[in-house]
Amino acid sequence: MIGTIALAIGVVLGLILEPTVPVWLQPYLPIAVVAALDAVFGGIRARLDGIFDSKVFVVSFVSNVLVAALVVFLGDKLGVGGQLSTGVVVVLGVRIFGNAAAIRRHLFRA
Amino acid sequence: MSTSLLDSLLTDHLDHGYAEAAERKAKQATDKANGKATDQATHHVDAKTLLAVGLLLIGFVLAIAYRGTAQQAPDSERARQGLVKDVEEGTATSDSLQRRAESLGGLLVRERDAALTASETGDKVSKQVRDLERAAALVPVHGPGISVQLGDAAPAQQIDPATGKPLTVPPDDNGRLRDRDLQSVVNALWAAGAEAIAINDERLAPTTTIRAAGEAILVDLRPVASPYTIKAIGDPDVLLPRFADSVAARRYQSLSSVFGISFTVQREEDLALRAATGTDLRYAEPLDTTSPPPGSATPRRAPAGPAGRAPSGTSGGTPAGPSGTPVSPSGGGGR
Repeated sequence: MIGTIALAIGVVLGLILEPTVPVWLQPYLPIAVVAALDAVFGGIRARLDGIFDSKVFVVSFVSNVLVAALVVFLGDKLGVGGQLSTGVVVVLGVRIFGNAAAIRRHLFRA
Repeated sequence: MSTSLLDSLLTDHLDHGYAEAAERKAKQATDKANGKATDQATHHVDAKTLLAVGLLLIGFVLAIAYRGTAQQAPDSERARQGLVKDVEEGTATSDSLQRRAESLGGLLVRERDAALTASETGDKVSKQVRDLERAAALVPVHGPGISVQLGDAAPAQQIDPATGKPLTVPPDDNGRLRDRDLQSVVNALWAAGAEAIAINDERLAPTTTIRAAGEAILVDLRPVASPYTIKAIGDPDVLLPRFADSVAARRYQSLSSVFGISFTVQREEDLALRAATGTDLRYAEPLDTTSPPPGSATPRRAPAGPAGRAPSGTSGGTPAGPSGTPVSPSGGGGR
């Protein structure tokens, strides 16, 4: 319940405050988005599995964003930034789909 | 090694932290059952705030990303729309100015005629001016004539081999009309005895050019697009057979069957052509003339005196008459 409200507040804040993303941060925004989605799906699945833990949830989200950003940053410096961000999106995307499948099994038993 | 990495990528979707945390909790629970004290209450509050902060952050990131994308995509679209609007406004302004110039020109002609017809010489001058203006395509005219329709070849319908869907291919170069096509048709019309010609309602004056700018065809610096309607005023009974017999007409007749361009000629009972945009003569200056006797053949001025200026008293200097003289409008530039 608190989680849903917080999520809604976050969305509303983002829409109302209209923060301008600095140019140097813009390449990392897609990665942050994928990491955020991964954290949300992982959290929902853990909740359904009955092993949810908010500390793990927050730490895993933040660290995923940071590590992904670091990998992409290094890739940018070494000339493989585009490929590495594709890699990050693929890995996190696979996890999102896997977790979504687990959630589906929980909810529909199918 | 690599297989196990791929395996874990494809099977372990959940962060291992959750399982470990659950294990820890279970251990704590057993410890508690065994009587060891833990600060369960504060930990609980911590967890809720953490969860709220984390989800707030996630919502924030998602909203920023959404806003960024929603803002970026319309940016380019907005710029394009703005440019299109600018062009449309510019065209509308130019059109309305053109109309205003035409109506003011008509007013000017009426005022001038009223002023000139007061005297007998003025009457002659007025008539002469009207003839010259008609020849220079500076006044709107109407009358019987013919209209020639010329159009690019229609896009060929082909079937995409991959999808099986019909594919529209732009007409290849052979089926597209060029500036020189319009030029040859217009020249053939002048030669056939046309007295006034307009392409897509752009009236041709003696100095009007028909030329290409990239893919576009410009008539008097205004772009015209296919299909082209060329209206020519003249005696249809003379114009039609003479034009149909011309080299250009026969060529486009045969080209239309080979390349699929459209080419039709038809007789018109009454065509109305508007005035051409006036040309400013920057270098040519009128000769000193006295009023020539009306109806007399306009004698060419004899080679002038040593100074080269027209000696006063030499009559003539009237430019070629309005009709019968094929005026070639072909500009030739840009080819």
